[in-house]
Amino acid sequence: MPPFEPEPFEPRRRGDLVVTLFFLLLAGVLIVLPPEVQEQVAGGLRATVLSPFLLLQESLIETRVRVSEVSELQRRLDAATAALAAQSTLRQENTHLRRLLELRDRAGPGFRSASVLRPGLRGSESMFLLDVGSRDGVAVNDPVVSDGGLVGVIREVGRGTSVAMDWTHPDFRVSVMTLDGEAFGLIEPRQGAFREEDRLLLNGVPYYTSLERGTAVVTSGQGSVYPRGILVGTVDELAETEAGWRRGYWIVPAVRPAAVSHVLVMTEAERSEEHPLEELWLDSLPTAPEGPETLQEIEVLPGEGRVPEVDPDAHGPAGGPGDEDPIAAGEDPTLPDGDWEMEP
Amino acid sequence: MSPTRLYRTILIALPLLHFLLHVGFGIGRGAPDLLAVGLLLLARELRMGPAAGVGFVLGLLEDSFSLLAFGANTLTCTLLGIVGSRSRELFVGETLLFLISYLFFGTWLRSVLHWVLAGEEVRRDAGVTLLVHAPVDAAYAAGVGVALLLATGAWRRDPSS
Repeated sequence: MPPFEPEPFEPRRRGDLVVTLFFLLLAGVLIVLPPEVQEQVAGGLRATVLSPFLLLQESLIETRVRVSEVSELQRRLDAATAALAAQSTLRQENTHLRRLLELRDRAGPGFRSASVLRPGLRGSESMFLLDVGSRDGVAVNDPVVSDGGLVGVIREVGRGTSVAMDWTHPDFRVSVMTLDGEAFGLIEPRQGAFREEDRLLLNGVPYYTSLERGTAVVTSGQGSVYPRGILVGTVDELAETEAGWRRGYWIVPAVRPAAVSHVLVMTEAERSEEHPLEELWLDSLPTAPEGPETLQEIEVLPGEGRVPEVDPDAHGPAGGPGDEDPIAAGEDPTLPDGDWEMEP
Repeated sequence: MSPTRLYRTILIALPLLHFLLHVGFGIGRGAPDLLAVGLLLLARELRMGPAAGVGFVLGLLEDSFSLLAFGANTLTCTLLGIVGSRSRELFVGETLLFLISYLFFGTWLRSVLHWVLAGEEVRRDAGVTLLVHAPVDAAYAAGVGVALLLATGAWRRDPSS
């Protein structure tokens, strides 16, 4: 029986293994690089190897805009009305652009209009590229808005292009308030099973503040990124409660990022202006719900614990001094029996 | 068996076509994952090291648009290149059935690897992503890849197929 000899390891095969391990290691290192370095690498590739593809998309979008403008002229001349009737997408884009232009006219020179480029690649779901950059006055953390409301925020800025994330990004947070300034909270995205199911959650609303469906929610101006008054969405329904502490509400976003093709970037010059931004989106805001006031206030009397002072002429029959405190009894004060509707 | 010139051209053109459709035309998910198809076919023509290198470069290019999980595509494609190259030693793969299966399972594997490497914060529901989206995307990519190879006449390895 011949002695066992291990299979000779070819030098070429060993070299192959070394090369393989090198690339594997390099790929692993890329994941753990600091975000700033990752952004530099990504930005470098976008500006060099991938720039022809981006330029192609940019030119396609420009062409589409020009086509829509020509179509608008044709529509005005009444000659191509019939032809345009079948092109609902172009008409929709025209309407969208006109509304965006109106918004820009109302907003002032600090807004920079931009076209949205979407790479459509794996992992790029919550980002988009804009054809404006530092030469247009755009800077990191500038809010991105459309005629509907807040879309997202600028993350990286190049000379002529910039990268932004929309509100579906897991890192997206914005401090918001209701239009009347009565309720404040923090909005964050929640992923759905499908991308179309992504939605926003308003967190940190005080427990005794109940919000009606359809209530508009705008940025509160807290923090240094978003100025006060940008429409974010409207209240949909109660999402979660932490008894006696806080409530969370689902928010219907004012803007669906996938449907956005043109946006405005709010530059530093605009943010330093002190005109009220909420007026820019007044047309988009829903009308206030009719009926009695729903905002409830619990007034804590000194030395009496959590006993609410109730106006005898308030909406419900209860509220007398001898009534049991429903909070202490563990009841939800917003139950529809109306016992806790009080005058502010 | 050395690949024909046409076959090589197609293999190099597939990733370019991928970026043209996804980035240039902005089609997004409507376009098939031709990067995976190109990489899987190219890897079978290369040794393990170069295949890993090609996967690294292609993955890095795709990662340049990824704010969510930078590096996940790079590592995924590097691994896919290695697996593709090693598959030569496991499967001879001269039939059309093998080509379809190879592209389908390879593209599916890419989705699975990316889902695993993308990080917990970015991941969507495993059931929907891996059992609904991934197989559909894989079937779409494999179908388009095979159709492209057959239509151009690049796949002529097995006369019986």
